[in-house]
Amino acid sequence: MATTAEGFDAHHDQGHGHDAHDHADHKPGFFARWFMSTNHKDIGTMYLIFAIIAGIVGGAISGIMRVELAEPEIQYLQWWAQFMGGGNDLNTALHMWNVFITAHGLIMVFFMVMPAMIGGFGNWFVPLMIGAPDMAFPRMNNVSFWLTVAGFFSLLFSLFVPGGTGPGAGTGWTVYAPLSTSGSVGPAVDFAIFSLHLAGAGSILGATNFITTIFNMRAPGMTLHKMPLFVWSVLVTAFLLLLALPVLAAAITMLLTDRNFGTTFFNPAGGGDPVLYQHLFWFFGHPEVYIMILPGFGMISQIIATFSKKPVFGYLGMAYAMVAIGVVGFIVWAHHMYTVGLDVNTKMYFTAATMVIAVPTGVKIFSWIATMWGGSLSFKSPMVWSMGFIFLFTVGGVTGVVLANGGIDDNLHDTYYVVAHFHYVLSMGAVFSMFAGFYYWFPKMSGRMHSELLSHLHFWTFFIGVNVIFFPQHFLGMQGMPRRYPDYAEAFTFWHQVSTYGYYIMAGSMVFFFVNIAYALLAGKKAAANPWGEGATTLEWTLPSPPPYHQFETLPVITDAHDYHDHRPVTA
Amino acid sequence: MATLPPIADDAARRNLRVGLMAFAGALAMLGLGYASVPLYRLFCQVTGFGGTTMQATESDAARAATLVTGQKISIRFDASVPADMPWTFHPSAPTDTITIGERDIATYVARNLGSTPVTGMATFNVTPEQAGKYFNKIQCFCFTEQTLQPGQEVMMPVLYYVDPAMLDDPNMQGVEQITLSYTFHRAKDPVNPVSTGTN
Amino acid sequence: MGQRHTRMKNAILAAIAAGLAAFAPLSVAAQVAPTTTPVEATAPAAEAAPATAAPADAAPAEAAGTYTPMAPTKGKGMPTSYEDGALKSMTFQDQYSENGKYAQWMHDGILMPVITAISLLVLGLLLYVVVRFNRIRNPVASRTTHNTAIEVIWTIVPVIILVVIAVPSITLLARQYETPPADAVTIKATGYQWYWGYTYPDHGEIEVISNMLDEGEAVRRGEPGQLAVDNRMVVPAGVPLRIQTTASDVIHAFAVPSLWFKMDAVPGRLNEKLLTIEEPGVYYGQCSELCGARHAYMPIAIEALPPAEFAAWVKAQGGSMPGEEAAAPAAAPAVDAAAAAAPAAAR
Repeated sequence: MATTAEGFDAHHDQGHGHDAHDHADHKPGFFARWFMSTNHKDIGTMYLIFAIIAGIVGGAISGIMRVELAEPEIQYLQWWAQFMGGGNDLNTALHMWNVFITAHGLIMVFFMVMPAMIGGFGNWFVPLMIGAPDMAFPRMNNVSFWLTVAGFFSLLFSLFVPGGTGPGAGTGWTVYAPLSTSGSVGPAVDFAIFSLHLAGAGSILGATNFITTIFNMRAPGMTLHKMPLFVWSVLVTAFLLLLALPVLAAAITMLLTDRNFGTTFFNPAGGGDPVLYQHLFWFFGHPEVYIMILPGFGMISQIIATFSKKPVFGYLGMAYAMVAIGVVGFIVWAHHMYTVGLDVNTKMYFTAATMVIAVPTGVKIFSWIATMWGGSLSFKSPMVWSMGFIFLFTVGGVTGVVLANGGIDDNLHDTYYVVAHFHYVLSMGAVFSMFAGFYYWFPKMSGRMHSELLSHLHFWTFFIGVNVIFFPQHFLGMQGMPRRYPDYAEAFTFWHQVSTYGYYIMAGSMVFFFVNIAYALLAGKKAAANPWGEGATTLEWTLPSPPPYHQFETLPVITDAHDYHDHRPVTA
Repeated sequence: MATLPPIADDAARRNLRVGLMAFAGALAMLGLGYASVPLYRLFCQVTGFGGTTMQATESDAARAATLVTGQKISIRFDASVPADMPWTFHPSAPTDTITIGERDIATYVARNLGSTPVTGMATFNVTPEQAGKYFNKIQCFCFTEQTLQPGQEVMMPVLYYVDPAMLDDPNMQGVEQITLSYTFHRAKDPVNPVSTGTN
Repeated sequence: MGQRHTRMKNAILAAIAAGLAAFAPLSVAAQVAPTTTPVEATAPAAEAAPATAAPADAAPAEAAGTYTPMAPTKGKGMPTSYEDGALKSMTFQDQYSENGKYAQWMHDGILMPVITAISLLVLGLLLYVVVRFNRIRNPVASRTTHNTAIEVIWTIVPVIILVVIAVPSITLLARQYETPPADAVTIKATGYQWYWGYTYPDHGEIEVISNMLDEGEAVRRGEPGQLAVDNRMVVPAGVPLRIQTTASDVIHAFAVPSLWFKMDAVPGRLNEKLLTIEEPGVYYGQCSELCGARHAYMPIAIEALPPAEFAAWVKAQGGSMPGEEAAAPAAAPAVDAAAAAAPAAAR
């Protein structure tokens, strides 16, 4: 890739950059700084901006879907089909729907949540929190980012090339064969798959980078058991990425060769099995959902501790609960395939294994509450988002326990109940934790304070909006409304309309977010090194806001006085 | 323990080592992804997972025949052809009742409605799925590709037995009928046209 | 109320369209008008597989009154709208199979109370700490970070709850996997893009091709739109059915919510499940695995009839009941013997 070469060149340019500030804050010129960046904070910023842009695109697509679903019958899809350059017939319009659901899923998973959580907050704060000057492989970090961007463009490009009965890939984010092979003629699916390759490669490189950074670059005295929980969460996430994404890469590469080179990995005509694709996809796909939520767990732990003015409760239990979730996450994948035709013993095993995950998850929920218990709570914006997270993630989690039962899932599988469930854990779980993290660290990243009023308004309107969107979807699912339908029986109308009104509330609430950012950047108060007070004990708060371009040139030494997590002697 | 060491080269070397180890882990998982294709097939063939039938030799069949208790089971024969396959394909009789452990023969009839020779390859499974490991085929038209000339109709036999071991398996308790299902797919390209109506 | 929503939505769409016009001046101006006119979603049924639909369609009509499609009962075998029953629209459809009733009991009697209690417990604890441990009431934070007893409790108690859930869950699975008896009525449902085909291998190879009715026709026949089909899958009520599914092109899923039944139809492979419908009625379902453009337009309608009427329907289709003709397998007595012997041996 061209970006690789540029990334390497950038390193040499740094020696004679143009800006001649003081020695400690020696920044390269604009192009070198932002396009050939090797600085973890700059790359983190770029990831966050990229994730926000991708989130706007993915969120707008969900708006198109919600508006269409406000009424039965097809209202606007034909218009969209023509807008996207397709024909005027109904099949193209209906294909457009499948393209929207596919793009929404892929964008939100691969280009919004993952870049924001791991690329954005991970890049920014893992080195700061462990007292490292930068990531272990700064140039590879840059490569990771631009691979992700390239993946996004490949996905966007796929929207404008033929992919079946219209432009774009209409396979669902799961890209099941044979719909994605013999069922989708045209290059769109190839570009969508290629986009996953690029994003996946970027993530694998990023995971390698985080693992190396966390293992090798901790400041003196920063033992594994003294690491902030956010760092733990990114470490576990990085391992999940490293072990899960290559399996996806293999599976979608086989899809590509099935599509283009006549192989029959998933084609029964040549002895392949489409069900195998599902096994491979979900072997990746289930760890993927933990990849999306674990960094959120980490952020919530930091924030709850900060605003309770209390060390996190049960630090070791919290860390190893994440490890346990990560490990068990690899052996439950077939609960996404309960209706595919599994034998009874397989289904019983996956039912039992899936329910086991509720235990470490419960440990985390209760430990957060125990952290607050006896604390001195101040309800700053990051804290209210975190508390919203705890409740909504619990609601999403308990419906997960319902779905875990293979016999119950026979009715709910591929209905709106599932849609409601995974949006409660992602659109509310992951997204609430991202907003919590954003408001928590925005003063650190930008050096400016955001408006607490706007942040709280954002929280309450968003909280109401997403609940109005997704809670009625439980009802729709139980009544039998299938997923991925642009049109539905009249009886489903009411709750669909409610859900669409929720979308308008949610979309409106995002205005507060953007106004808040603009306000903070233009007129916000200067942020102190530690705006959150004595509860904020991790290393990033020892640095000025924003931190200098190069930090920790003299490494901090972590002593027992800094041991803000655990007062027991560490028994590793 | 982990500190930034005084010599930068040393740190770089250690980083490279951990980084390469992590990357090797990713490569191993990539390999596992590809290896899963033959491994999954093997797993199904050995365990009968997903209703995969067993392939048996004459001597296996002879051994099973010694365990016959005289109990019967009903076998259903099912046939499908995908939309892109210009054949008709159906069993000669939809069901049969056989003695568990004894060899039996079933026939299917296939006819090429197209105007060109078409090669087909059959996939198969049995239901209920737990019956897979007890359903043994000795000879089957599904072991090889089959080519039919335009308008040609052939009888396709399958020689099979049901392993008496099923009687001892609690998972097979209450199973009164096993369905043997075939789907004839259009083979990608006619390799080595086999004469039809094997054996 | 629909009118009002449409108007509001159109206004929003117009705003969006206006915004987009800046980027796509050519197409937008031309397309705003079609946008605001709702497109009838009902064309697909008419277009889908007309050739195959025609002969099957004609069959019942020609059979001169021996079979008339049963009128569906409102609220039975179909979703209930909010207007027709607010509470009913917020839960499962009424169940008409034994396993469905058991599953619904498990959901309503065990899962719902448990998950509601957990959610409320978490909410209550959050509210309590907000009130009790805020900065004003509790200015000095404790430094407690461990309490082994409570940590053990919140690990063990969830385990116990999960075990309580697991018992009926495993029971339910075991029941759902009971195998059909040898003489169960066998129906094979084949998914096509985008309609269903039902064959009755033991009834003289009857084949029913089932396409969605367009909205107007469905309403004319007193059936729910989007769910009604031209030719239903007719089955006897009260007797075990062996439902087998497969697909001809891509993966589909055969799903009927009021029977707690969902099974994927995978090309190149057959799936099978036992189903017993407790009483006569019309039960609607929909394809539940993304299968391409008209995924939403291949509904399922099962009509369960008393066995005698089912036999009449079979005749009307030109089929035959098993054992009636020489062609049918003469193995029925032997099958019964096997049926009696197998469980006896196993138990």
